[in-house]
Amino acid sequence: MLSRGPTYNNAPVEIDEIMHIPDGYLSPSTCGTLYLFAASGWYAALKRIKQLLATRAIPLISVFAAFSFVVMMFNVPLPGGTTGHAVGVGVAAIVLGPWGSILAISIALAIQALFFGDGGITTLGANCFNMAIVGSFTAYVVYQTIAANSNLKSRQRVLAAAVAGYVAINASALITAVELGIQPMLFHDASGTPLYAPYPLHVAIPAMMIGHLTLAGLAEAVISAGMVSYLQRADLGLLRGVSGLTQTPGTIIAGAGPERSQGRLWWAVALLMLFTPLGILAAGTAWGEWSSADLMNPHTREQIAAASGNHAPPPSVPVGIERLSTLWTAPFPGYAPGFIKSPVFGYLLSAMFGVGFLVLASLLARAVGRKWPGGNLRS
Amino acid sequence: MSRHSFLESTLQGFTRAVAKALQSEHAASQPGLLQQLDPRVRVIGTFALVVSVILCRRLEAIAAILLIAIAIAAASRVSLASLAKRVWLVILGFTGVIALPALFITPGEPLFTSPALHLSISVQGVRTAVLLVLRVETAATLTTVLVLSTAWTHILKALRSLHLPAEIVTMLAMTHRYVFLLIETANQMFESRKSRTVGVLSGSERRRMTARTAGVLLSKSIELSQDVYLAMLSRGFRGEVRLLTDFRLQPRDYVGLTAFLFTGCLAVWMGR
Amino acid sequence: MASTFEVQDVSFSYEAIPAIRGLTLHIGEGDRVALLGANGSGKSTLLRILDALYFPSAGTVTFKGDALTEKHLQQEEFLLSFRRRVALVFPNPDVQLFNPTVFDEIAYGPLQLQWSKEDVIRRVDETLEFMSISHLRDRPPYRLSGGEKKRVALASVLVLDPEVLLLDEPTATLDPKSQSQVVDLIQQWKGTARTVITATHQLEIVEDIADRVFVLEAGTVIAEGTPAEILSNTDLLLRANLIHAHRHSHDGVVHSHPHLHGHSRHEHEH
Repeated sequence: MLSRGPTYNNAPVEIDEIMHIPDGYLSPSTCGTLYLFAASGWYAALKRIKQLLATRAIPLISVFAAFSFVVMMFNVPLPGGTTGHAVGVGVAAIVLGPWGSILAISIALAIQALFFGDGGITTLGANCFNMAIVGSFTAYVVYQTIAANSNLKSRQRVLAAAVAGYVAINASALITAVELGIQPMLFHDASGTPLYAPYPLHVAIPAMMIGHLTLAGLAEAVISAGMVSYLQRADLGLLRGVSGLTQTPGTIIAGAGPERSQGRLWWAVALLMLFTPLGILAAGTAWGEWSSADLMNPHTREQIAAASGNHAPPPSVPVGIERLSTLWTAPFPGYAPGFIKSPVFGYLLSAMFGVGFLVLASLLARAVGRKWPGGNLRS
Repeated sequence: MSRHSFLESTLQGFTRAVAKALQSEHAASQPGLLQQLDPRVRVIGTFALVVSVILCRRLEAIAAILLIAIAIAAASRVSLASLAKRVWLVILGFTGVIALPALFITPGEPLFTSPALHLSISVQGVRTAVLLVLRVETAATLTTVLVLSTAWTHILKALRSLHLPAEIVTMLAMTHRYVFLLIETANQMFESRKSRTVGVLSGSERRRMTARTAGVLLSKSIELSQDVYLAMLSRGFRGEVRLLTDFRLQPRDYVGLTAFLFTGCLAVWMGR
Repeated sequence: MASTFEVQDVSFSYEAIPAIRGLTLHIGEGDRVALLGANGSGKSTLLRILDALYFPSAGTVTFKGDALTEKHLQQEEFLLSFRRRVALVFPNPDVQLFNPTVFDEIAYGPLQLQWSKEDVIRRVDETLEFMSISHLRDRPPYRLSGGEKKRVALASVLVLDPEVLLLDEPTATLDPKSQSQVVDLIQQWKGTARTVITATHQLEIVEDIADRVFVLEAGTVIAEGTPAEILSNTDLLLRANLIHAHRHSHDGVVHSHPHLHGHSRHEHEH
């Protein structure tokens, strides 16, 4: 789903722009649910920030929100001659930490909606959840994982920032796509007309992800990396994280250590796992992912027909499918090992497996990163 | 593409943002319908109508709300031409384009088929595309009229009256105020870079320029926030925020609020 | 004369960089004092210490007999009293204008000090009147000119009728007309009980705004005296980097003369 940034109309629409959802794309119950999620995020963030920063929080978060609002307006030149827009969630998460970032980005989004009239008011909760909350946590966790204990001035940090920004935007895009993609299935009238966003998951996800994997994600990566690089030269204190911005003027204390970043990682993992049952909601079997057995079974044939605009599947299994289906048997066929009966549980299990894989992969990336020149542990 | 087109578009964006603020200030002082109502009624009323727009299931009901929104806009001295240019056409070009494929790929009974192109438009496709566009247009009209006819400080105070926490309102207020200062600063930085740059910059040079400007802006922002903090302390800030709200409801506000809520409920009931 | 500020041997550093070292001075009630120094001499830092925004790492600061320590400022009663009685005006008015409108800005101080709504509104309107900015009442700060912002900043502290005014570079960035308005305001307080401490590097206003001058350099006081005494001491002014020396040549002879900014006629020996 492609949307405008804070350009206030009259601007040519750029295909990669950030993912504000306007009013009308999400059903009332979706809006309500996401508002609840967002509100709990805001509440938690406010409490944490007041603990961490006490009275300093108000001016710091406000001015940072203003800063990210303005950065959202920058046209970031990208390879290939195009431009994109960043959200600034990468920088916010690195400098303010995840909680401060949640507040700052949410406030910037609120100003866009309430003052400039950009972005919906019923979807403000959803937008904040997608960009400010999911985005901040993802950026923070990825950055801390890859940067780990490296020297504040190392290139590893710049790389970490770029990857963090990129992954965060795409995570936001993915969750947005999921929210939009489940609309037609959950909210349609008796004749099957989707009432809100009209594209199912298998269309919404690729449609959104393409724009963000290429353009918006890159813009965020460029800004995040560029700013960390600048701060390394000009203002090192800001890279120390939120604990570096404490009360006593002129004193800077070292930032969060590796233990804290590990904790965050598991938080993020838990969050990710919670979302996997959404995949279940995709009608019956995922469209196109049928095995020969599915095509033979009359019950699943009905499901396939319903999901394919009432076109009946071919009467016999196409030769190609027959040949290929014996080539590779997934370790968990049907997303669950044979002995698991409940589909939801099976989903959760495979999610945990998949996520565990990701965790291992990122820890690996960190270990590799350490071997880079300049990526020495801070001693 | 001019050699500094990315700078130009950014600078234009800044100009538009400032122009928007001025326009809003102007519109809010007009003696129109909405302007007569208490800001809290305006905020609640608009929100209620937008909610009913997304609750409605029938095109006719949504279209009715759109007509009401246009009427409110006219009565509040909001230029319909500017609404058309800034809201309706933009949304058509945006959501309209997004909704286009839905005509073809939404499953359902075919309305129109072109065997040559192997394309078929379904009834459901048409309905869903129109529903989406109409919803988005109506909601955007309502919110734009609210935002244009209400001064920002009144929106803030309305939110405060509606029990949004004081810290959040203070942060919204402070952010808004400093957005314009930072826009001015960023504007100056880009303008000076533009005038100092000779020749065409490579892609990576342009990226570096953008990132560096953002970096300088960040440093200045943090420094500003530290000074603002001291200024707040100096005037007695101790963590809690005290705001002055002095709205009083008048009879016409009750009438207005009732009208908003009634319209919303009616539309939802008829459009179910 | 009753003492207002007693600063005894105070030191303060930003991270590792010392800003104030072993500074001592005394200011009495009703004094009009100028802190003269170049940028980096420590005068802004000193004002912030006097306003209990920074606390020294060594030495003591007393305000009318009360010690200004972090602990003391955490007591709500003392805090409320101190914040009302001592006011600081920052050099950059944007820093001090953080509320949505001029009215809100001026009302901020009284509100934080828990005045009643009626008192706040009445007093704010009075102050707007006094500073001749009633027409700016509902204006947002980004729509104010430099001079207007300064007047609003001054109004926002004067609303509390403070006993002590700490002015940090009050005329910097202002056009000449606004500058003279500010100077006039300061002159109004001559002979009243209000203590005014102005930090500046602009020599031409010193005579109008102060009866006593402290010269600061590298975080400490290097001289004290009346404006006449200080301004005629060119060696001192050179040392404190408040004036500079030009070199020029006539007919093959090179001279260097110190001269003060703002003087249109240079008279020097040849």
